[in-house]
Amino acid sequence: MIDALLTPLQYEYMVKAILVSGLIGGVCAFLSCFITLRGWSLMGDALSHAVVPGVAVAYIAGLPFAAGAFLTGLLAALGMGFVKAKTALREDAVIGVVFTSFFALGLVLISLYPSSVDLRTIVLGNILGISDADIWQIAIVSAVTLTVLGLKWRDLLLFCFDPNQARALGLNVRALHFTLLTLLAATAVAALQTVGACLVVAVLVTPGATAYLLTDRFGHMIAIATTMGTGTSLVGAYASYYFDGSTGGCIVTLQTAIFVLAFIFAPKHGLLAARARREAAV
Amino acid sequence: MIETLLEPFEFAFMRNAMLAGAIVGAVCAVLSCYLVLKGWSLMGDAISHAVLPGIVIAYALGAPLALGAFGSGLLCAVLTGYIKANSRVKEDTVMGVVFTGLFAFGLVIFTKIRTDLHLDHILFGNILGIDRSDLIETLLVGGVTLIVVLALRRDLLLFCFDAGHARSIGLRTGLLYYLLLSLLAATVVASLKAVGIILVVAMLVTPGCIGFLLADRFGPMLALASGSAVFSTLSGAYVSFFTDASPAGCIVLIQTLLFAIALVFAPKRGLLAGRFNRAQSTPPQPAG
Repeated sequence: MIDALLTPLQYEYMVKAILVSGLIGGVCAFLSCFITLRGWSLMGDALSHAVVPGVAVAYIAGLPFAAGAFLTGLLAALGMGFVKAKTALREDAVIGVVFTSFFALGLVLISLYPSSVDLRTIVLGNILGISDADIWQIAIVSAVTLTVLGLKWRDLLLFCFDPNQARALGLNVRALHFTLLTLLAATAVAALQTVGACLVVAVLVTPGATAYLLTDRFGHMIAIATTMGTGTSLVGAYASYYFDGSTGGCIVTLQTAIFVLAFIFAPKHGLLAARARREAAV
Repeated sequence: MIETLLEPFEFAFMRNAMLAGAIVGAVCAVLSCYLVLKGWSLMGDAISHAVLPGIVIAYALGAPLALGAFGSGLLCAVLTGYIKANSRVKEDTVMGVVFTGLFAFGLVIFTKIRTDLHLDHILFGNILGIDRSDLIETLLVGGVTLIVVLALRRDLLLFCFDAGHARSIGLRTGLLYYLLLSLLAATVVASLKAVGIILVVAMLVTPGCIGFLLADRFGPMLALASGSAVFSTLSGAYVSFFTDASPAGCIVLIQTLLFAIALVFAPKRGLLAGRFNRAQSTPPQPAG
């Protein structure tokens, strides 16, 4: 029995995949606390799709994928900002137009050079087949993200919670906006490797949302979210040995299951707690 | 020369593709005008991803795939509404959690059920592989959606534009809410074969934005949106025949191109018009 459970761990690629997934899961979960407070879920989804042409070009040209992805992600963010400032269109519509355009461009590029890059790898992730060079890129992205978040988390928190007060206190709101956007693009690039473009938004939102249901203090929220993100990623990557390599699917299904549990059973903000309060009031 | 240009039309699969593409383009474009006004772009994204588990389960049970897709798309919308109403998490976050959860669950069961479904076709569409029965299904779902939208176009418009006002004049906004969601889910189902899950949202947002930039009134907005969408699908499929590029990608890129043209040149709201108006309204400088 125990032998059977340890089978996945006998393969070097599985151990690598599990550890890298855990790292990315933790970093994304840390950031997700800010993203959910700021209401930037759509932005996370958009950037994760918008990086696809960059990844395609980088693979075709033999450059580091993270650089290409990061560049197109920022380009998309700038494009959205520009169109938003120049038209009366709603923000969500602008985001929708821009990210689908980028994604379509990526799709066309990949279909023209099918040999150099596999579309499925990008859209669904392929952590089981990750190369050492890609692991290094992810490690660097994670280290930089964690350092910036560690140094600036108080300012970022205030910015996410109440931008006006942040401005009134003399914080550079514009710089914070771009810092958060850059971090989002960077983590989206890293998460692309584990869960793929379609599911990046989950690891950037679900841990934060779950933690938000469980606590009222931001420090605790970060701790809960990061633990959950790391834990689900480790277990999900492990479980994907039995699920034909659908690592992203396993990780995100686990995260969603935990969110649902929190939604129902959270001590203060859960469904049952609210029901009990209503009954007590009657 | 002309023969080469006409070559695509000689193939039945190209004719089917263009016909299906035109229908899908028109239906999506009409709906996109409402979504853009209502601010529901993310909803289109969410429902389109959420159909995956429905397709896989319907396949396993031997039920029609379209039915399963419609069901799970709607489930996503209903769950989002329920969780939003019963927790303190913001709506966009809830939507992100729910649709990715359903999509991930779909992926996991897809690997566990032996199917002859192609995941690539579900994700990116397979417009060049559309056969007669697909065409009839698309026609049916698209046609019904279009008729319902056009029959109720005033009520839906008022609901999207100002739900509070709609309620105060006695419209049943709860009903309209679910009706619009159902129409959205049906449209996504009709578009799956043509453009796939991931790019449906482009078909559901970009045409409405083009119409919004170009027109002041809702009728012309609808017409411009559908016109641009039909043109994009036809020319996208046509271009992909010669370049061997992904048809769905080409369709969306052509839509983007039209959007960019509208953004720059729109007579009233375009970048150039804005610049021109600013130049006109600059007060004349006093001489000397």
